[in-house]
Amino acid sequence: MAEVGEKIDAKPGSRSSRNALLQLRQLSPLLSLVALLLLWQLITSAQIYPAFIVPPPAAVGEAFIEALQSGLLLKHLGVTLEEMFFGLILGLGIGLSIGYAIAKAPMLEYTLSPVIVAFQSTPIVAYAPLLVIWFGSGPTSKIVTTAVIVFFPSLVNTIVAVRAVSPNLRDLMTSLNATPWQSFRQLELPSALPVVLAGLKTSVTLAVIGAVVGEFVTQGSGLGYLVTSARNQYDTPLVIVTVLTMTAIALSLYSFVVLLEWRWLAWRRRSKR
Amino acid sequence: MRKILGRALISCFIILSSVGAQADLLQERILLTFIPNIQFAPFYVGIANGHFARQGFEVTLEHLQEPDVLDLVAAGQADFGIVSGEQVILARSKGRDVVYVYEWFQEYPVGIVMVGDNGAGDLENLTDMIVGIPGRFGASYSGLTTLLQSAGLSEDDIELNEIGFNAPDVFCLGAVDAAVVYVNNEPLQIRDRLAAGDCGDVRGITVVSVASQVDLVSNGLIVSADLAGRDPDKVQRLVSGFNSALKATISNPANAYLASGTFVETLPGEPEFLALLRELAAEQAAFLATNPTREQIAQSRSENFALLAGAPESDDLTQYEVLLRTIELWDADTLGHSDLSSWEAMSDTLRLMGLLSDDVPDLGASFSNQFVTGIRE
Amino acid sequence: MKLSLRELVVDFKTPDAGRLPALGPISLEISPGEFLCIVGPSGCGKSTLIRTLAGLQPATSGSVAGDDLPITGPLSTLAIMFQDANLMPWRTVIDNIALPLELAGVDKARRHKAVNELLPQLHLQDFALSYPAELSGGMAQRVALGRVIVQRPRALLLDEPFGALDAMTREKISLELLDLWREHRQTVVMVTHDINEAVLMADRVVVMSSRPGQLVADIAIGLERPRAINMIYRETFLRLVREARAAIDLPDS
Repeated sequence: MAEVGEKIDAKPGSRSSRNALLQLRQLSPLLSLVALLLLWQLITSAQIYPAFIVPPPAAVGEAFIEALQSGLLLKHLGVTLEEMFFGLILGLGIGLSIGYAIAKAPMLEYTLSPVIVAFQSTPIVAYAPLLVIWFGSGPTSKIVTTAVIVFFPSLVNTIVAVRAVSPNLRDLMTSLNATPWQSFRQLELPSALPVVLAGLKTSVTLAVIGAVVGEFVTQGSGLGYLVTSARNQYDTPLVIVTVLTMTAIALSLYSFVVLLEWRWLAWRRRSKR
Repeated sequence: MRKILGRALISCFIILSSVGAQADLLQERILLTFIPNIQFAPFYVGIANGHFARQGFEVTLEHLQEPDVLDLVAAGQADFGIVSGEQVILARSKGRDVVYVYEWFQEYPVGIVMVGDNGAGDLENLTDMIVGIPGRFGASYSGLTTLLQSAGLSEDDIELNEIGFNAPDVFCLGAVDAAVVYVNNEPLQIRDRLAAGDCGDVRGITVVSVASQVDLVSNGLIVSADLAGRDPDKVQRLVSGFNSALKATISNPANAYLASGTFVETLPGEPEFLALLRELAAEQAAFLATNPTREQIAQSRSENFALLAGAPESDDLTQYEVLLRTIELWDADTLGHSDLSSWEAMSDTLRLMGLLSDDVPDLGASFSNQFVTGIRE
Repeated sequence: MKLSLRELVVDFKTPDAGRLPALGPISLEISPGEFLCIVGPSGCGKSTLIRTLAGLQPATSGSVAGDDLPITGPLSTLAIMFQDANLMPWRTVIDNIALPLELAGVDKARRHKAVNELLPQLHLQDFALSYPAELSGGMAQRVALGRVIVQRPRALLLDEPFGALDAMTREKISLELLDLWREHRQTVVMVTHDINEAVLMADRVVVMSSRPGQLVADIAIGLERPRAINMIYRETFLRLVREARAAIDLPDS
């Protein structure tokens, strides 16, 4: 594999400049983060807002270390991650399978679309309290809020992705006497994967929102609870630490999907050159 | 022609001058918690009957989460807010320099409602009971902690269930044996259900209020320490205006209920009931002109209620009773006055709850009676 | 493999539940090892004919048969090549060519061996691990051809296989195809809209009328093999081309 890859790479003189560009590209997100931190520091130094409204980065750093050492942050993080994990599995599982079924049987879409669209257009924040009444104040209701919010993008992307499978390639598979499983595994899956993974990027970030919305409604544990509780104790640095932790979860999951793309969609990267 | 022009000019002048009079009033917003509710009647009376205007304010009301009220006042984004005393202690321990200048609720409004006929309400009976609470936060939780403490119990001795603000439903379903409530509100709803035979197997209830056990500082008016130092006159005028409105509410609840109608959408406001109230309010005004004592006024409130209670059962009556019960939590010989001991008791409770570290905050600086003393009628 | 069409008729359903006649009735016999080209105006049902032979399109009436056995679905001995290369963009050249073997359950080592033997003939040996998007149109079409050849079919069905290529590339690949065919001698049915190409490659050229497509001419091409590009200047070649062109009913052009 390497030899051919090299051969295609080897356009004389372009390699070093491309590497430099690549490095710059890798650094640029970091630059925006640094800029944001600087701006934050500037706002606090200029005392535009009192420290209890916008605490300086150092105070937030301290609160982070304290919350880490006391185990408070990890405990609630664990709870939220667990809810998100099961919520994602449930929501993706249902979204992918119903999406696949709808893509294969357009009749299903006529039947299901009013329910699905209504479901999607109703803001989850509004009916989250109902979910708590129905599924209890334990982890189940939060798993459900996560699943509900994750469900729709995975559904839509699956439908779009499976419908976009080239009819000519379907003919090819038929002419080669492919079994339904072979058609799925060798054609539909790899063909749908880019779109499904793009949807997954949306889903994983939404999953954080789903879990936290659930935790806002029923107090008890999780990062959503930690935010409210820190707010009620006037601990703004801890509020920010918790919010940033949520951001970190979303970013890590997003990066994980990017990693999956990197691994599974190597052909796209090569094809773009 | 000239005549018409003259008239037009005159009417213009009148309009302009009245606008000018309006413009003399200082726009001021007061931040409240919860939602518009009959329990905020003194503010509605203050606005509707000119108590604030006489002190030079045109007041608007906003409802926010309690920590947001506190932070906005502390940051100088708003001048006045209503929060409970515990929030003042907590927030001051985290760098918000606010001062509590008027103790609106003289009695802590939280209590516990338990299954059992009158007289059976011994706090020790709570042991091993399932107790409902809106959540482990705010005044309910502080109140419960204080009640358990005064009975020599701790949270481990009971089974605590977070039920949101649904105490009447959950209690009557029998899902809990007791519930932490606002003594001026939920017990009335449960009692009404009992009377209607709509409260499951429950036959009788007992209410034990926090105030009957310990004097905890409760809801009051806060300002930033900065404002109190920079513009004490402004604070003084608003305190005076609110004090006057509170007094008017306490002495003429019928009038207060009528004034609240435009502010609280959820009040039924049935015409018959309101007509009856108007009569009562007018009679009460005449009675007040005779300079009655505090006890006589309290007496008149019960007598008036007895008159109303003869009328057909209505939600208006329940809401009116909520107002009367709440007035009992406000009424005192000296309105607005705050005691250091009630702050100490609250700070002990917070420490017990683990919300406050051991270093003693300067409780004396948390509140000031200076503006209560300086009230101008 | 002998291919036979007997009174074949194919209709399409229209959205308003009517029927649109696409092809036939048509009867045609293709001998084993014969290279047959079909020409005709666009929309005459050439592709439908190929798809019916491939078992992708059911006959409305009449029948198609391979070695006298009716064709009702895809056969492993019959390979079809489509108008565009129709490659899987996520598979490398080698894996695209190996797809039929993979679906047939051939293990990886053996299918790679089979493909690697084919690659030099297709001039693809340097691109075994490239992805389709990295290939030129001609190379992509060679990959598609390889995917057909690797099945060692007894009949090849080619539906305008070089239609999307430029003239130069097209000529080159046509001759390469002839080389491959000379080696294996499968039966070939190729649809094209290029009469020169048809005459240059085929043993026999059939001309179809516009829709519903029917046979209007059946021209035996007597040119000797191997064919070479300079044959197109011969008198016989030009006569055959003229004959075919005359048969094509092109009232519009």
